[in-house]
Amino acid sequence: MIELLTETAIQEPQRIRGLEMPWNRVMGSTEAPARAARALGPWHPQEFMAECVETVPEAGGLMTFVFRRCDGAPLAFRAGQYVNVAFPVNGEDKEPVDRSYSLSSSPTEPWTFSISVKRDGGGLVSPWVHENVKPGTVLEMLGPVGAFHLPDADRRARYLLLAAGAGITPIMSMVRTIHSLPGHADVVVLYHGAEAGGFAFHQELAYIASVDSRVKVFYSLGDRSKPEGWEGLSGRLTAAMLDEVAPDANGRQVYACGPEGYLNTATELLKKVGVDDTSIYMEFFTGDRQTLLEYQAELAHAADIAEEIAEEIADSAEDYFESQPTAFGLYEPGYDAEGTLKAGGLPLETVDADAAGPEALDGGSDTEPETASPDASSFDTVGTGSLTLSFMRTGINVRIDPTEHILGAAQRAGVRIGANCKEGMCGSCKVVKLSGEVEMNHQGGIRAREIDAGKFLPCCSTARTDMVIDA
Amino acid sequence: MSAPVLPLNSRGKLASSLPAEQLAEISQLFEFRRTGYSLDAPFYTDPTIFKIDMEAIFGQHWIFAGSVAELPEPGDYITVDYGPYSLIVLRNDDGGVNVLHNVCRHRGARVLTEAAGSTGNLVCGYHSWTYSAEGNLIHASAPGEAKFDKNCFALKRAHSREVAGLIFVCIADEPPTDFDETSKIFEPYLAPHDLSKTKIAYQQNIIEEGNWKLVMENNRECYHCDGHPELACSLFPTWGLTEGLIPAHLEEVWDRNKEAQSSLEERCRRYGLPYEVVEELDTRIAGIRISRESLDGEGESFSADGRRLSKKLLGDLPDFRLGRCSMHLQPNSWFHFLGDHVITFGVFPINEHQSLVRTTWLVADDAVEGVDYDLEKLTYTWKQTNLQDKAFVELCQQGAGSPAYEPGPYMKSEYQVEAFINWYVQRVQEHLA
Ligand code: FES
Ligand code: FES
Ligand SMILES: [Fe+2]
Repeated sequence: MIELLTETAIQEPQRIRGLEMPWNRVMGSTEAPARAARALGPWHPQEFMAECVETVPEAGGLMTFVFRRCDGAPLAFRAGQYVNVAFPVNGEDKEPVDRSYSLSSSPTEPWTFSISVKRDGGGLVSPWVHENVKPGTVLEMLGPVGAFHLPDADRRARYLLLAAGAGITPIMSMVRTIHSLPGHADVVVLYHGAEAGGFAFHQELAYIASVDSRVKVFYSLGDRSKPEGWEGLSGRLTAAMLDEVAPDANGRQVYACGPEGYLNTATELLKKVGVDDTSIYMEFFTGDRQTLLEYQAELAHAADIAEEIAEEIADSAEDYFESQPTAFGLYEPGYDAEGTLKAGGLPLETVDADAAGPEALDGGSDTEPETASPDASSFDTVGTGSLTLSFMRTGINVRIDPTEHILGAAQRAGVRIGANCKEGMCGSCKVVKLSGEVEMNHQGGIRAREIDAGKFLPCCSTARTDMVIDA
Repeated sequence: MSAPVLPLNSRGKLASSLPAEQLAEISQLFEFRRTGYSLDAPFYTDPTIFKIDMEAIFGQHWIFAGSVAELPEPGDYITVDYGPYSLIVLRNDDGGVNVLHNVCRHRGARVLTEAAGSTGNLVCGYHSWTYSAEGNLIHASAPGEAKFDKNCFALKRAHSREVAGLIFVCIADEPPTDFDETSKIFEPYLAPHDLSKTKIAYQQNIIEEGNWKLVMENNRECYHCDGHPELACSLFPTWGLTEGLIPAHLEEVWDRNKEAQSSLEERCRRYGLPYEVVEELDTRIAGIRISRESLDGEGESFSADGRRLSKKLLGDLPDFRLGRCSMHLQPNSWFHFLGDHVITFGVFPINEHQSLVRTTWLVADDAVEGVDYDLEKLTYTWKQTNLQDKAFVELCQQGAGSPAYEPGPYMKSEYQVEAFINWYVQRVQEHLA
C-alpha cells in the first residue's frame, strides 16, 4: 500500500523572481530574431484558417472550441487577447458573420488554442456555433487582437483578476498561463456568476488553486439568493468584498472582464480601495456605442496590419522574416532591427533575498560605438606592417605589425594620446575604437563596462585586424 | 586580503595639542551645559569646537556616506567630505565597499576630484601615482629611484559597513562596536524596501550656512512644522504630540491620525513589517530612532493627496499604503522609506558655520521617468521643505553669532533635540576624558 497521507510538511517550491513569458527570453537572447521566436511568431494579427479539433461543454452554457491552424503553425498570442472569427451562419456561399471571442487557452501551449462561446438563446451567432461547429469544421480567423493581456515580463507579478459570467474566458487564459509558468506570482481571482452551477471552468480553477499556491480563487453569487451549502461569497462587487479577497489590491495590477455595468462598478470600487487607474485593465464583453466603436477600430487596425503583412510575405517571404518585426505598436515583440529591445527580460534571480542576480539587461554601455566606417582613404599612410590603423581625429593611417603595441606606433606617427604607466594600469591612454579587434593585456586601468562600450588601452594592446580609432 | 587600516592620528589627539587653558575652557562648556536648554553660542561658532567635533564625533563614529544605489557596480565611487576629511567610497570587484582616504601619498593631492563616478585603478591627477582599488600604490613613474618602496605608500584605509543597502564609514582605528546592534534594529525595517533594486531619481546638494548640529537639531522636531506647508499635507500636524498635549483645534486631526495609524499597523502585521517605535537617541553610542508611521490622505507617499509618486513598488512590497518608515541615525543622517520611493539625507559638515546637506531620492530601478514617475512631483515636497529648513537653520546660526544670544528652553515636543544634544555632549566628553 502506498502511504499518501504524510505527517511531514511539504515545503513551498523554490521559484525565480517574477513572471516571464517564455518567448520573451527567446527573443531577448540573440541579436537577430531567433528561430524559435520565429516559430512562435508572427507577433501581429494575421488572417488564417483554423480547424476545430475538439468541443468541450462547460458549465453556465458555455462551449469550448479547440482549434489548430490549418497551416500547422502555432498561434502566437498573449494571454487575454482575442480572435475574430468569420462564421458562415447563412451558408457557405453567403457573407459570413464576424464575432470576436477571447482566447481561453494558454499561449504557452500554442499548438492548439481555444475560444469559449456562451450560448445566447436570442442571438444569431452563438446558437449556430454551438450546433454547427464540430471537429473538422474549418473557419477563417483574424488574430490575435487586443491590448488586454498579461505583460511579457513582470518582476512583481501581483494580480487581481476580476471576472463576471463569460468574462472568465480571457481571465482563464491568464490563470492557465501563470499556472504553466515558473516564477513568483501572487494571483487573486474573483469570479462573479449568476447561479451556483454556472461557473465555467470551476473544476479546473479549483484544481489549479489547490496545487498552485500562487493562485487563490473566490466565487461570488451575484445578487441571487444563495442555495443550501453554498460556501462562496455572495452579493455584487463591493469595496468590502475587494478588501476581503485582496486587502493589498492597491499594490496589484487589476485585469477585469465582464459586462459593462459590472466593469463600471469595478472601476469605481477599485479607485475607492486605492488602485491607481494606470493599474487597471479592462475588457468589455458588452459595451455602449463608444466601447463598441473602439473595438471596431481595434479590429480594423488589426485587419490592416494582417493585410499589410500578408502582402509583404507574398512579395518575399525571405525578406519579410529577415526584417521582422517592424513597428506595429501593440504587437511589437521584444526585439527590433537593431537587436533586442531594452528591458527584454528579467535577470535570473531567485526570490531568496540573499541570492545575487546578474546584471540587468539594460545596464551598461551608454556610449555605443558607431559602426559606420568614416572615410579614411584620403589620409596619409605612415609606417610599415600588415595592418592599418586609421586615426580619425588626427587624420592619419598607421601601418602596424600584429605584435606591436598600438600606443607606440600611434605616438611615433604624431597621434596625441596621453600615457603614463604604459602598463595598462593608469587608464590615461584610454581611447575609443570605432571598428576592428584588439588583444588587450591590461592591469585594471579599464573596466569591463568601458570595454563593452568600445574603449581600450592602446599601451597594452595589439591589433588583430585593421582598425578605426577615435583619436 | 585587504590592506590593514592604518592608525590615522599618529600625531595624537587635537585635544592634547590644545593649550591647557583653552582645553579647560572648552571642557567647562561641555560640563556646565544646561540640560533642557539649547547650547551656548561657541558650540555653533567656535572653530576649535568644530575641530573637536570632527575628531570626537566624525572621527570616531559610524557616518552615513550614501546608499548602494549611488555605487551599484564595481568601480563606481562617491567621495564624501566632512571637515578636513575626504573619503573615497568605492564598490570593489567582490561586491564589497572600499573606503580610502582621498589624500595622495605623494604630495597629498586629492586623488579623485569628482563627487561621484566610475574608475578602474585610482590615478592621482598631479603626478599620476596609480593605486589599485584596494588602495595599494601600483605605479609611480620614478626613473632612477632605486630606494623607493611602493609598498610603503598605500592610500590610507577606513572601515565600512553596508546594512540594508546603506553605506556607513568610520575612520577611527577601532570603530565603536555597538553599531552592529543598532543595525540589527533597523535592518528588518528597511530590508523589504530592497535598496539594491533602486536607482537615483534625483540628488540635491545644498550648502546651509549653519553648524551641522543646528541642521540635526532642526530635523529632530516638528514644533516648526507650520513652516512646511507642503510637508503638512503628508505629516499629520500633530506629529510629535502625545495624548493630553492636543490643542482643541487639532482634535479632529488627532483622531484621523490615530485611525490611520491603526490601519497602518494592521497592514504591517499582515505583511510582517515591523512598525514599533524604537527610540535610543542618547542611550547608545550609535543613537537611533526608527518607526513606521502613517501619512495623511491616501497614506502612500509625500504628495498633496497622499497618493503614490512612483508607480513601481519597491522590493517585494505588496502594498503602496505603507506610510513612511522613518529613521534618524546619530550623528549625520535621517531617512524616509516609503512604498514607492526612499529619501536619504546626509549631513556633511564643512566648517563651524557651513554644512552640506545631501538629499537623494531613490525609486525602483525599473521605474521610468516620465512614465512611472514625474521627477518634479516626486521631489517637490522635500525640495521645498529642505529650502525652508535651510532658512530656519541659517536664522539660528545668525542668532548664535549675536552677543545677545543665550540658550533657550526646549519645549516638550522638542525632547528629541534634547536627546541629540545630550548624546553629543556625552560623546565629546568621553573623548576628551
Ligand atoms: S598608459 Fe597607463 S593604461 Fe595605458
Ligand atoms: S600628489 Fe599625487 S602623484 Fe603627486
Ligand atoms: Fe523642518
